[in-house]
Amino acid sequence: MRFLLLCALLLFLLLPGCSFQKKKLGNVHRDVLIAKIKGFDPADVSDLYSHICQKQVYEALYQYKYLVRPFDIEPCLAESLPTISENGLLWRIPLKKGIRFTDDPCFPEGKGRVVNARDFIYSIKRLADARTRSTGWWLFENKIEGLDEFRDATRKLKKSDSADYFSNLSGLAVLDDYTVQIRLTQPFPYFKYILTMGYTALFPHEAVDYYQEEFLNHPVGTGPYRLTEWRRSQRMVFERNLNYHHGFYPTEGEEGDRAAGLLEDAGRPLPLIDRIEFYIFMESQPMILNFLRGNLEQSGIPKDEYNNIVLPDKSLKEEYRKKGILLSRYADLDLTYTIFNFADTLMGRYKKLRQAISLAEDVKKTIELFYNGRAVEAQSPIPPGMFGYEADYKNPYRQYDPGKAKRLLAEAGFPGGKGLPELEYLTLSETTARQMGEKFVSEMAAIGIKVKLESVTWPEFLKRLKEKKCQIAGLAWAADYPDPENFLQLLYGPNEAPGENAANYKNPEYDSLYRMITVLPDGPERLTCIRRMKAIVADDCPWIFNTHRVAEGLSYQWLKNRKPLIVSPGNIKYLKIDIEQRNRSLGRE
Amino acid sequence: MIRYILRRILYTIPLVLGVTLITFLLFNVVGGNPVYQMLGKHASPEEIQELTHQLGLDKPLLVQYVDYLNDLVHLEFGRSWTTHQKITGMISDGLGPSLSLAIPAFLFAALLSIIISLVAAFYRNRFYDRLLVVLCVIGMSVSILVYIIAGQYYLAYVYDIFPISGYESGWAGIPFLILPALIWVGVALGGDVRFYRTVILNETSRDYVLTARAKGLSEPVVMGRHVLKNALIPIITSLAMALPGLFTGSLLLETFFGIPGLGSLSINAINDADFPVIKAMTVFGSVLYMLGNLLGDLMYSLVDPRVRME
Repeated sequence: MRFLLLCALLLFLLLPGCSFQKKKLGNVHRDVLIAKIKGFDPADVSDLYSHICQKQVYEALYQYKYLVRPFDIEPCLAESLPTISENGLLWRIPLKKGIRFTDDPCFPEGKGRVVNARDFIYSIKRLADARTRSTGWWLFENKIEGLDEFRDATRKLKKSDSADYFSNLSGLAVLDDYTVQIRLTQPFPYFKYILTMGYTALFPHEAVDYYQEEFLNHPVGTGPYRLTEWRRSQRMVFERNLNYHHGFYPTEGEEGDRAAGLLEDAGRPLPLIDRIEFYIFMESQPMILNFLRGNLEQSGIPKDEYNNIVLPDKSLKEEYRKKGILLSRYADLDLTYTIFNFADTLMGRYKKLRQAISLAEDVKKTIELFYNGRAVEAQSPIPPGMFGYEADYKNPYRQYDPGKAKRLLAEAGFPGGKGLPELEYLTLSETTARQMGEKFVSEMAAIGIKVKLESVTWPEFLKRLKEKKCQIAGLAWAADYPDPENFLQLLYGPNEAPGENAANYKNPEYDSLYRMITVLPDGPERLTCIRRMKAIVADDCPWIFNTHRVAEGLSYQWLKNRKPLIVSPGNIKYLKIDIEQRNRSLGRE
Repeated sequence: MIRYILRRILYTIPLVLGVTLITFLLFNVVGGNPVYQMLGKHASPEEIQELTHQLGLDKPLLVQYVDYLNDLVHLEFGRSWTTHQKITGMISDGLGPSLSLAIPAFLFAALLSIIISLVAAFYRNRFYDRLLVVLCVIGMSVSILVYIIAGQYYLAYVYDIFPISGYESGWAGIPFLILPALIWVGVALGGDVRFYRTVILNETSRDYVLTARAKGLSEPVVMGRHVLKNALIPIITSLAMALPGLFTGSLLLETFFGIPGLGSLSINAINDADFPVIKAMTVFGSVLYMLGNLLGDLMYSLVDPRVRME
């Protein structure tokens, strides 16, 4: 073995590329992706990592304020906030003038053209075209006048037929080159958030026409960067978009942001970094080792490495602090939950059985075992930081109590589990999901309920949910936008499978209240409705509410202006690298 | 010889058909429905029905299978349902990185295994032989994951001898390939050395070896010129059988070391229910295995004139 090592070492030293790690680094940001992304088609930004990558190249009319909390929006491609009619239905949005798409071969002579209001209409109508098969249609369904009819008309077209993406609809119109008008079917207060989402990003029809099926692999946007290299399973490189001149570092923030140095770059033109390199890590070891070596600016903390990096008091170990590593902690706007399928005769019929199961599941243990303490117990569908979340609210069926669970089981007609057939818990075939399943099985066994664990691949899992062929299954949901409606719709009756109501739960009162909160602005009336909805689902128990996760991340001190914006991550245009400090720390002077 | 090759190629047809049938059934019976993944979280029943129809997934299974075979005959693999890339392009993009790791590692492992096996056979039943056998058994018993995790942690991170992970095309990529290649060699040595040693020992007990020694030939000449040549048939068989694996990539090594090869292509396709890619990779893999077998058989006649291809 020593001989082998010596041979390898000799070979390595003789190689021309042996200085690969010691080069001085310029204004480049090196970051992590833990999943491959499907592509850059704005009509199909359904996962977090696609969203992060798209955000570098595409922009929507609005964006979230980077430093301000609670979440609020500000203009991005729009000139100002929308002018909304008194009844909340008519939205008029002026666009910034003179913004150009990035240079690309899809344009004459390769020069990006100026963005106009028709690009917005085009982008939304292409998304609405049934043949595009956008995963984001649900955001617009029944919301804009005339758009659903347009979609229905496209269903009758063949794949080769062209649809009119430019003409106005009753609810979607161009008033002049730089003004868009939207007429909503109801005054949805959260529609402003939809206008920040990647699904509503503007892109040129020239790119779609030029790249056709490959459009998702050739992004052409107005964002701060352009994609220059993409090896699907290894890395993506973005470089500064030379046509980008309309973004500036924010001048307002929260209390404490100035003291934290987050406003030092106020008013500076963006982006502050010239080049981004995303490295794709499907395994956590190479990711964390690369970070600790200084090959990455920031990283998550793998579950198995947590205790090697973080002390029991949740502070960073001294050896890492000395390296200039910082630990940040922030609540995710998300929920993990376990569904009872109401389409299953057994699970849908016995409310007390569901309540018993919910009481027998020890969420504190789950948090310690699987999240290293990085989560809070969920009591309702709404996560902390969102309107309707109440920290002091206690769900009566989410207080771990195996004794009470046994009593309820007996009241349901299954004393000690007698007479109850073996239940099936559907989970994914990956390690952590199986371990969580095993914990569930043992906790149910403690009150006399036999549960069989069935672990399947993700496509099979999805199929079983969509076809209502499961009894109990574990799921998670991350906020699309910071409005409780986004979580409460998961239990809305008409959203049953194949929609997102995987529990197939139906309660007329809940559904009626849901319809009310979709149009009510945040305020006492909306809060009353939400409280009642929480009480209904607590009692009916269609889910076991599990956790709201707390994310933790590591970064180096040389990475400046870092403030996680969890509702819309990937804001690299605001980040700054202290290049001198990094080269000094890494010995690359 | 040509008739033999043609006959062998014809034999591959029912085998490939069998493989495609099993893949097709597995995908349709126990696989998930790709439509749910393609349409995302909020798909309506109508949309699901439409896309199912567009993809031809509502046709009878027999019709779907015939369509599949038809595409196969015309070498029409189409585009990935997930990335919309041409599948031939996806395979050719991954082939270079996979082979740049696999070929040097494979050749080095084969050469080193044969040399060590000869040494072991030379010292048969003595200390060095027993030591090598024990080391081989230990080597075979340890999972490749342990080699990867320990190698990456100590050799790359702690001692900083190699890059932790990464890939570059061309000469600049060589530093990134050394550690995974060494691990490949280390993992291969255990099993290969044990097998080759047994084969070589079988030969050393033959009469012609005794005759060679009686004639006064030196041991290196006996082992290298006579024993090795006769032991090559089973060795070539095992090497030829391993060849197709070089093209389909090493999933774990490529995943841990960030090499954008073919290793993860099939796994990702299964996870995404990306049937066109699964189909293409199945056919690609099975044809390679058939060709590997054929190549092994053909090489017999080169190393042993007694073998005739009829």
